[in-house]
Amino acid sequence: MATIELKKISHSYQMERCGELPENSRLDAQFVIRDLDLTWEKGSANALLGPSGCGKTTILNMISGLLKPTAGHILYDGRDVTDEPPEKRHIAQVFQFPVVYDTISVYRNLAFPLKNAGVPKADIKRKVQQVAEILDLTHVLEKSAGRISQAEKQKVSLGRGIIREDTVAILFDEPLTVIDPKEKYVLRRKIREVQKELAITTIYVTHDQHEALTFADQVTVMANGRVVQTGTPAELHSEPASPFIGYFIGSPGMNLLDCTLEDGGLSCGDFMMPLSPKLRKAISAHGPAFKLGLRPEFVQVSLEAKPGFTPWTVSLMENVGVHLILTLSSNGIKIKSRIPTQERVSAGGRVWVGFPEAHVKIFKDETRVY
Amino acid sequence: MGIRAEHLSKSFESRKVLDDISFEIKDGEFVTLLAPTGEGKTTLLRILAGIERPDHGRVYYNDEDVTDWPVQKRQIAMVFQWFVNYPSMTVFENMATPLEALRPKPSKNEIAQRVQNMAQLLKIDGLMQQFPSQISGGQQQRLAIARALVKNSDFIFLDEPLTNLDYKLQEELRVELKNIFARKEHGAVVFATPQPIEALTLSTSVGFLNGGKLLQFGPMQEVYHRPAFMEVAAYFSHPSMNIFEVRKVMENGHLWLKASDQLKLRVNRFREMLHADAYMVGIRAHRLVTVPENEMIPVTGTVVLREVVGSDTELHLDHQGVPLVALLEGVEEYRIGDSVTVYLHPDRFFIFDKASHRLLARAEDRRNGT
Repeated sequence: MATIELKKISHSYQMERCGELPENSRLDAQFVIRDLDLTWEKGSANALLGPSGCGKTTILNMISGLLKPTAGHILYDGRDVTDEPPEKRHIAQVFQFPVVYDTISVYRNLAFPLKNAGVPKADIKRKVQQVAEILDLTHVLEKSAGRISQAEKQKVSLGRGIIREDTVAILFDEPLTVIDPKEKYVLRRKIREVQKELAITTIYVTHDQHEALTFADQVTVMANGRVVQTGTPAELHSEPASPFIGYFIGSPGMNLLDCTLEDGGLSCGDFMMPLSPKLRKAISAHGPAFKLGLRPEFVQVSLEAKPGFTPWTVSLMENVGVHLILTLSSNGIKIKSRIPTQERVSAGGRVWVGFPEAHVKIFKDETRVY
Repeated sequence: MGIRAEHLSKSFESRKVLDDISFEIKDGEFVTLLAPTGEGKTTLLRILAGIERPDHGRVYYNDEDVTDWPVQKRQIAMVFQWFVNYPSMTVFENMATPLEALRPKPSKNEIAQRVQNMAQLLKIDGLMQQFPSQISGGQQQRLAIARALVKNSDFIFLDEPLTNLDYKLQEELRVELKNIFARKEHGAVVFATPQPIEALTLSTSVGFLNGGKLLQFGPMQEVYHRPAFMEVAAYFSHPSMNIFEVRKVMENGHLWLKASDQLKLRVNRFREMLHADAYMVGIRAHRLVTVPENEMIPVTGTVVLREVVGSDTELHLDHQGVPLVALLEGVEEYRIGDSVTVYLHPDRFFIFDKASHRLLARAEDRRNGT
């Protein structure tokens, strides 16, 4: 296993490789990846999260060597591998659709990479049994790989990666897409367990927040070929770097309100949120137009008027069993709030709403300033 | 007014998919047919809509036997999981087609007006001149829904319309569907889904299918709070309910249902109804908490997986071989293998018969000490 680094990577499918990117091409719209710097530490569990078309798969192909970046360098443990072909890179991949040799046994599928590398037969047997044990595949070892479930096939793909000692990293590309819903939990748990136990450097690519935040210790969120934020799942949730992250992570997403800094506080439509001197100081240099962000679980809802609270109408109430999700409106502005199911609110009714400053985030354009 | 199903059965080859199913949908209801994949909910929906014929049994619309009516005669609307739109027609034309087929045919102006209104409701009014291939998957499904709703049929059938959309789109469209159907003045909506959260947020009534049988059918809140069978309880929870086996024991002068020295519940108050030696106990995941209140029962387990779902964390624990899942608010970090103590409420559990899986008692109906 190794640490993988991307240094100043840019890529355009229309341009040949060149060492340094000419200054005048930097803003060219044809670049699917621009000026990307990323590091995945040895033995760590990472995810690349983003909507389709954001450049995730392009990055995976660069790491495995299927694609050469137009500019920039790829390093394994500090060694530049940008010009090395895929077969020299020792990267294992698990794809959306399981790739196994259907006509041969699970045993021979797992043994294949070792046999190719000329490992002695007795060692192969020991290794295959060991890997089968770890992945709960012992009972299907003699079966033909065409006759096992999709989840088991994905485990065989993973097994072929971990059976070699020289594997640098394992890349997963949406590995749960075709897995039966009932088996997803088991496979998710197994992948996580094996990653931790064997300290495998992993990069897990997905468009699904749940998959990314569940699998990885460090998640990189991408949009339009650029990194929007890298952090732990908790950091992405509590300290979003942009309004996009605030909305994209979490359910329901963060409430985002256009507001203006005024003498009395932040004016959002027809209500004013008072500001502490500390918050005012932090944002006043960026002023006067901002976006106020507050997660639905931190919106305070009261059935009676309270100081600092403003009246809103409950326009929709969703009971999700564990709690209620309210859509609140006031003069055309809508926000969501999440409250315990036992609260006595009703659709169409009036409630008073508070924005606790401790949980409020302030964005200037695409960047968080508080 | 409404839909009535009487003794419906259906087999494909030798496999019985639906077995003697009867229920009644009243005017104004939004009914979800809830079941995991492969339990026959799509077949039942297709039989109700007239796309499929039952082997036995009858279907009535407004007390009229329509079992032998072809689907064209029924004047219903249907939305499929894989959105179906006419690729050679614009968004506008796709929506206008069902109206042009109406007899008497509405005037050109009326068609344009109704299409415009429906397009606005589903937020596709900016795309009228585009073709389906030029719009996103989410927009295509909006179009399919708009086309189904535009002719204002009494009965609307939807087969997993949100399943193929990503989670933010599901979240947004779920709220919109609730709003749209709230405007419907008469008729009924039948919605097949594998997602408990859709049944919870959208429906007035729920039918749960298992092994070809309709295990329970009733008002949504009733089915959620009083699941008639263990299978209903396990599935119609978000996440799945914790269900484990317990033995009935007398210890320290009290009657207990006991899974381990820690995981045991006092049940003196149910003494007269507990005649067997073993039962199944169910506890919803959000009833396991990490911050105890008075009288709560501590249970210690090892973390096997931590999943991030929306803005919550599902903590999967192994407690002496009993798998437990706790739903915790917020995005929390836990390491696999760590020891964690969760607490359960002495009055928040269900008791099921071990053999029949039927619900015997809800602990909250008779509090401890009463």
